[in-house]
Amino acid sequence: MGRKKKKQLKPWCWYCNRDFDDEKILIQHQKAKHFKCHICHKKLYTGPGLAIHCMQVHKETIDAVPNAIPGRTDIELEIYGMEGIPEKDMEERRRLLEQKTQESQKKKQQDDSDEYEDDESAASTSFQPQQVQPQQGYIPPMAQPGLPPVPGAPGMPPGIPPLMAGVPPMMPGMPPVMPGMPPGMMPMGGMMPPGPGIPPLMPGMPPGRSGLLNSCYGMPPPVGPRPGMPPMTQAQPVTAPGILNRPPAPAAAAPTPQPPVTKPLFPSAGQAAAAVPGPVGTDFKPLNATPATTTEPPKPTFPAYTQSTASTTSTTNSTAAKPATSITSKPATLTTTSATSKLIHPDEDISLEERRAQLPKYQRNLPRPGQASLGNPPVGPIGGMMPPQPGIPPQQQGMRPPMPPHGQYGAHHQGMPGYLPGAMPPYGQGPPMVPPYQSGPPRPPMGMRPPVMSQGGRY
Amino acid sequence: MSLFGSTPGFATGGTSMFGSTTTDNHNPMKDIEVTSPPDDSISCLAFSPPTLPGNFLIAGSWANDVRCWEVQDNGQTIPKAQQMHTGPVLDACWSDDGSKVFTASCDKTAKMWDLNSNQAIQIAQHDAPVKTIHWIKAPNYSCVMTGSWDKTLKFWDTRSPTPMMTLQLPERCYCADVVHPMAAVATAERGLIVYQLENQPSEFRRIESPLKHQHRCVAIFKDKVNKPTGFALGSIEGRVAIHYINPPNPAKDNFTFKCHRSNGTNTSAPQDIYAVNGIAFHPVHGTLATVGSDGRFSFWDKDARTKLKTSEQLDQPISACCFNHNGNIFAYASSYDWSKGHEFYNPQKKNYIFLRNAAEELKPRNKK
Repeated sequence: MGRKKKKQLKPWCWYCNRDFDDEKILIQHQKAKHFKCHICHKKLYTGPGLAIHCMQVHKETIDAVPNAIPGRTDIELEIYGMEGIPEKDMEERRRLLEQKTQESQKKKQQDDSDEYEDDESAASTSFQPQQVQPQQGYIPPMAQPGLPPVPGAPGMPPGIPPLMAGVPPMMPGMPPVMPGMPPGMMPMGGMMPPGPGIPPLMPGMPPGRSGLLNSCYGMPPPVGPRPGMPPMTQAQPVTAPGILNRPPAPAAAAPTPQPPVTKPLFPSAGQAAAAVPGPVGTDFKPLNATPATTTEPPKPTFPAYTQSTASTTSTTNSTAAKPATSITSKPATLTTTSATSKLIHPDEDISLEERRAQLPKYQRNLPRPGQASLGNPPVGPIGGMMPPQPGIPPQQQGMRPPMPPHGQYGAHHQGMPGYLPGAMPPYGQGPPMVPPYQSGPPRPPMGMRPPVMSQGGRY
Repeated sequence: MSLFGSTPGFATGGTSMFGSTTTDNHNPMKDIEVTSPPDDSISCLAFSPPTLPGNFLIAGSWANDVRCWEVQDNGQTIPKAQQMHTGPVLDACWSDDGSKVFTASCDKTAKMWDLNSNQAIQIAQHDAPVKTIHWIKAPNYSCVMTGSWDKTLKFWDTRSPTPMMTLQLPERCYCADVVHPMAAVATAERGLIVYQLENQPSEFRRIESPLKHQHRCVAIFKDKVNKPTGFALGSIEGRVAIHYINPPNPAKDNFTFKCHRSNGTNTSAPQDIYAVNGIAFHPVHGTLATVGSDGRFSFWDKDARTKLKTSEQLDQPISACCFNHNGNIFAYASSYDWSKGHEFYNPQKKNYIFLRNAAEELKPRNKK
């Protein structure tokens, strides 16, 4: 495929991973897709350029590059065509390409299930526009604190993006404070010598990743449109920003895939809830001490959630094409039919169970306070009536008369609320009632097996 | 003599093949029928945990009851006991030691059923029907989690009438799953939230839904070292999304697939798209089963991204499914799920629960 260049065989867009034949086309693509102002449609040259334009002209801030895949939405990275791409991403790309060629040679085509194959591409393309919005919860795997970089660990599907694999080889011998900063920062007037000048810019990573960039951004003079900037990045042995977080020791151990390595599934669990190792009482306060931890629903440890959920819901509404108004009034309707397909589901967008539960037939049994009788003599307390007689549709409670098809209830086994009689009177009467239907001749429970036949259970 | 005493003449035998002369399609897969099934649609199925010797199946139904059977190795099913609510039962689950069954109902309560004494007491109260119930067993606490249409998720110590914790949901809870230390809850309006349960339950992440239609069912899956790592989410539009929590490459690792649709290749007729009523993961193989309103079940291998099997079509939707603790038995319930509205409801139509041997059919496809 042409001469081998150092950077890459074919130009590709860092923001969305697409391939192009020519770098010119790539740049046109970037300008039109990623560096286009959504307000006035002016095409800028770079991400930072777009951010500045929006700020100055429209007084609006942008925090992500439009139409970029997650992990590649960084607005402060100065990427122009193939220039400015961080070295680690280059390596990952190279590995990906290598893997792809290997895989397509080795793998037989899987012939099963059009249904799977059909939707992979559909799904992946549909994912991308959704994920343009920076999901704060989604953090590039490299940068996640506490997530050990052990892609070799079992459980990883094959074809792991070499991003992880590329890391360990870089670790050894890496000066501890290598400019992990995005290389886009480097060419800022070329003033920053890699190395000791950088350390102050390395705060803790992912949540503060933009923070890092902001602080770095403040130092050098802002960069204008930069055609013809020297491609300094290739020379820099830039490392993944996340590496800086980890002291070299575990990183050195990273390459060895050890099964016992437990990836904390929820690395931020430590932040969200203070660890309470001891026994915990009924309200999650530890029984022995009372630390000043919050037991209420978590405060926004991820403050971005409030933003992202707001934007999520608005996106949801628009993309789902459902006019969801308030639930109590009109339920939203679904778009059910098209020329080629028909959704076998009632039109309203409430769940099937909700729809069914609205039927009077299923509502009659809801206990209402004080409903002693519905035209039928209340046979004492609820449940008190039966000498268990199989097959007798009980008429007490007055609720069942019109339910003959289901009539075989036999004995009603209302378990009485076993605690705090006053607390909840859902059964209308006499909560402190001892459940009348003892398991007749209580068979000695054999181990843990439920009794074979209990009086109460007989129908 | 059947304990549940519904329609007479039901032997407690196991493989009651009807041998009917009419070509009724209620059991085209010739699977084992559970005796004395409930009298109205089955909403949930759950098998006992491995701590109990043998296999016990519980099923909640719209007839307000939850029933328990013992399933013997020869396929015989023996009705054991039953409890009632005052409204349809929407969900049920076992405690980890197999001594209690928790049930959630439209009567806005949840109950704890002690199987040894056959007593049930109320342990939870909501302002609207309780749609999901799960038992959480953490190293430093245990509780019951209930999700309701009142837009709350509550956690209950069964000894106290007030919840240990209440978490607000963005919308009505439609389905949930718990595999410690992770919980996934899907709500109306395509809401999707993941919780972490270590130390105490807290919201971990709100996820933008990978599906474009109403969420219907969710099931968490585990990785090769048995840690929960993601979930499968089913919608009413015949589609399931496989979503990992922290994948190395989300655009590649997460995907959706279509299922439970008619006329796959036949383009002349419009395709009917059915809701996915339930998803269950095989506890050993990690492959999954889906059941739909179309009356079929399918087995899938999510890692090889292939379908393993699709069943014949039953004459009713399949409303629930589950595996037993070692994955040898797959249970699925055939009853009307309201997918065609009230008009198609026939109260006379029988509801069934079938048991199928699942040891072989769910083995993963070898990846090349």
